[in-house]
Amino acid sequence: PYHKNHEYYEILLEISRILNTGLDMETLSICVRLCEQGINPEALSSVIKELRKATEALKVEIHMFTHSE
Amino acid sequence: MATPDQKSPNVLLQSLCCRILGRSEADVAQQFQYAVRVIGSNFAPTVERDEFLVAEKIKKELTRQRREADAALFSELHRKLHSQGVLKNKWSILYLLLSLSEDPRRQPGKVSSYATLFAQALPRDAHSTPYYYARPQTLPLNYQERSAPSAQSSGSLGSSGISSIGVHTLNGPPPPPPSLLPGQSHPGPGTGDCLRQQLGARLAWTLTASQPSLQTTTSKGVPSATSRSVTRPRRDGDAGERAVSCSSPYGNHVAGAVEVTEAALVRDILYVFQGIDGRNIKMSSADNCYKVEGKANLNRSLRDTAMRLAELGWLHNKIRKYTDQRSLDRSFGLVGQSFCAALHQELKEYYRLLSVLHSQLQLEDDQGVNLGFESSLTLRRLLVWTYDPKIRLKTLAALVDHCQGRKGGELASAVHAYTKTGDPSMRSLVQHILSLVSHPVLSFLYRWIYDGELEDAHHEFFVASDPTVKTDRLWHDKYTLRTSMIPSFMTMGQCRKVLLIGKSINFLHQVCHDQTPPAKVIAVARSAEPLQDAADLFTDLENAFQGKIDAAYFETSKYLLDVLNRKYSLLDHMQAVRRYLLLGQGDFIRHLMDLLKPELARPATTLYQHNLTGILETAVRATNAQFDSPEILRRLDVRLLEVSPGDTGWDVFSLDYHVDGPIATVFTRECMSHYLRVFNFLWRAKRMEYILTDIRKGHMCNAKLLRNLPEFSGVLHHCHILASEMVHFIHQMQYYITFEVLECSWDELWNQVQQAQDLDHIIAAHEAFLGTVISRCLLDADSRALLNQLRAVFDQIIELQSTQDAICRAALEELQRRLQFEDKKQQREAEGQWGVTAAEEEQESQRVREFRESIPKMCSQLRILTHFYQGVVQQFLVLLTTSPDESLRFLSFRLDFNEHYRAREPRLRVSLGARGRRSSHT
Repeated sequence: PYHKNHEYYEILLEISRILNTGLDMETLSICVRLCEQGINPEALSSVIKELRKATEALKVEIHMFTHSE
Repeated sequence: MATPDQKSPNVLLQSLCCRILGRSEADVAQQFQYAVRVIGSNFAPTVERDEFLVAEKIKKELTRQRREADAALFSELHRKLHSQGVLKNKWSILYLLLSLSEDPRRQPGKVSSYATLFAQALPRDAHSTPYYYARPQTLPLNYQERSAPSAQSSGSLGSSGISSIGVHTLNGPPPPPPSLLPGQSHPGPGTGDCLRQQLGARLAWTLTASQPSLQTTTSKGVPSATSRSVTRPRRDGDAGERAVSCSSPYGNHVAGAVEVTEAALVRDILYVFQGIDGRNIKMSSADNCYKVEGKANLNRSLRDTAMRLAELGWLHNKIRKYTDQRSLDRSFGLVGQSFCAALHQELKEYYRLLSVLHSQLQLEDDQGVNLGFESSLTLRRLLVWTYDPKIRLKTLAALVDHCQGRKGGELASAVHAYTKTGDPSMRSLVQHILSLVSHPVLSFLYRWIYDGELEDAHHEFFVASDPTVKTDRLWHDKYTLRTSMIPSFMTMGQCRKVLLIGKSINFLHQVCHDQTPPAKVIAVARSAEPLQDAADLFTDLENAFQGKIDAAYFETSKYLLDVLNRKYSLLDHMQAVRRYLLLGQGDFIRHLMDLLKPELARPATTLYQHNLTGILETAVRATNAQFDSPEILRRLDVRLLEVSPGDTGWDVFSLDYHVDGPIATVFTRECMSHYLRVFNFLWRAKRMEYILTDIRKGHMCNAKLLRNLPEFSGVLHHCHILASEMVHFIHQMQYYITFEVLECSWDELWNQVQQAQDLDHIIAAHEAFLGTVISRCLLDADSRALLNQLRAVFDQIIELQSTQDAICRAALEELQRRLQFEDKKQQREAEGQWGVTAAEEEQESQRVREFRESIPKMCSQLRILTHFYQGVVQQFLVLLTTSPDESLRFLSFRLDFNEHYRAREPRLRVSLGARGRRSSHT
């Protein structure tokens, strides 16, 4: 929470918006914390992408499921 | 800044999963596990951690998307961020954002199609995706065991790895061409071009020309995933098959063998080329070769081809092992290190080829099915392309085998042996390596020749220096040839010359204290270029090398001899030694002997050195010796040998000549002791001559007087005869010694010394001279018997002298008394008395009778002496005639010219065999 109070957080949010990363505030803050702790950003980004794909897949499933009924 | 809510990464990850998936914590277990796995495996980032690089990339991306305003905005933001300084890992977060960024221009419709295609991964969920059964494992992000160094590379090669896409997207400027240590093949997008420029090999052309360059993969971002998706079918087969052979953490083995495709084999072979075990082809240490795993179901022809290709990997391993082992060995030396460097260079070329192949493989992976099923990498093609490298590697491996355990010049010889082959490519390869390897040897050599310095910590050069040797033995003992290290392209003669040159330089510096090198040598030294020479040495300019050595040898030796003669007057000293120690200066020796005679007759223990030295000085001043240079006279001295009981002065007296400095190199201590022995011998012989002249003198003086003693004449006559015999003997001996031994040898020595080209020649000639003199003067071990006989002869002469002295004294006494008697008689008659009284006459006649009786005694004494003497001489003659030395045999002829002894000695009458030599018999 204290992160959000800092200016740089605003900057990062803005950058994230420009780059159209699709990260919301909460997620961004988690990511920042993870990066600060030394996590490899390549790995992290791949995880995030994968999770997003999984989310999409689930959504599609649910959509198909609901629609098939 | 207090950080109370620093949560652990795991917790953060879990909350991330929750957020993205929009589910509660319990449901995200699968994804969370996966996330942990991914993060845990890809620990180290593969891209450079440069914040500014990432920022640039972002800007480029934005401008490419025609969003310049946004780009400017981003720069502003970044600047602000940078000034913040709170975040530690700015790079990290920027990179993350960039990798998550999406091009707004792309169509959103593709998302769902990805979904269907990528929908696998979650086995617990009930899917009806068609790919599920083929993928027992969960996720496309397949990774190998972290232990294999190939993890990184196959992570980028084999995985669908969006991370690798990310890498491709984000690597704007191409990374530097990889130095391919085994396991890393990570060609960047620009590698195709770089390789094309670097290699210029047919191979690179054929591969890269036919493909669009990898540049097109940049910034495709997610769109490139479409091509990926199409390659899924093929890739699954790989992954599936990979599942067979590697033990995954999930323990999901599909039972039963799966058909191994050629593509998989190609991949494996590319690893084997670098010496790493592939999936199917592993190194079996029992048979020391690569083998295909037995379980794999493999086409027979494929198996054979794969085995043939695997040989390359075996050769590579061998060479690699050698270089790695040697790099740890600290005492390997410069030559060995240059050999390893040459090998390494060759291996680097080999790795370049491999990188081209890898990049080709990579290209196919990325381009996907666009190539159709005719991938450009088949085993057959590999066979063709690796044919040349295989030959090279074979040569190198053979070299490595041959050179095991060698170092220094030996190693160079071993490599040189391999240049003797008819195959021109092999020969040029080995010659190239040889020129590199011999470079250190040549630089040692040049340093040694031109500066006389030897810095050889690992004992590789063929000149060895013994540090324990002091300067007085520098020339003889300090530098030796280490024959094992002589390279086979240098002859023994060259090596000896080289040794001599360096020795001369060191000798000049240390013993002669002369630091200036000759001018010509400096000029040549400046032009010596070891590396160039090393290459030239083996082509056709052998003569240039020989010429260099010869020139250096000539100059240095000439200079050395100059210095020795000018500064140290070596030749003068040599002549002085001859004059004094070898009794060359006749008048001086004569005078010295005259002066010394009364002194030396005394017992040896009563002699004092300073007395004798004084006498020496007198002799010098009185004769021609005074005109010699003071330097020489300074060194002349008297030396008293060890005294044994009963010695007279004659036995212990000796002259001495002091030498020091460079002269002592030629006149070593052994040489001087030899000289002293010769002096002793010559001195004795001279003394005999001297004694005999004394005897002769006595004869002359007393003959007239003793004519009045008629009965005495027989004795005297006998003395005469004996003395004459002895005189003749000694005469011949002296002649022999002076003319046949000394003069001839000295002449030869002088000629050789005048013509000598270096100090070694002088030393050798001098030693030969001394050797001859010693053996001819009967002083060496073989002639001991002869020497003893000669000594016996000398003893007889001394005997004669003393006997004669006694006889003459007695005779003279007798004469004296008779004269006295006569005088008295006459005196009395003059006085008018009776001349002699009866008593006196009686007395007188009594005395005369006694005298007459003693004469036979004297006669017999003399006869014994004569007999003894003649016996000794005959013995001597017998020994002479059986001696192996020709000149001694001729001496026997001269000694017995009228066959006087031959008549008496039956042994001498035995006829001479061939070559005038009687066989020796006791």
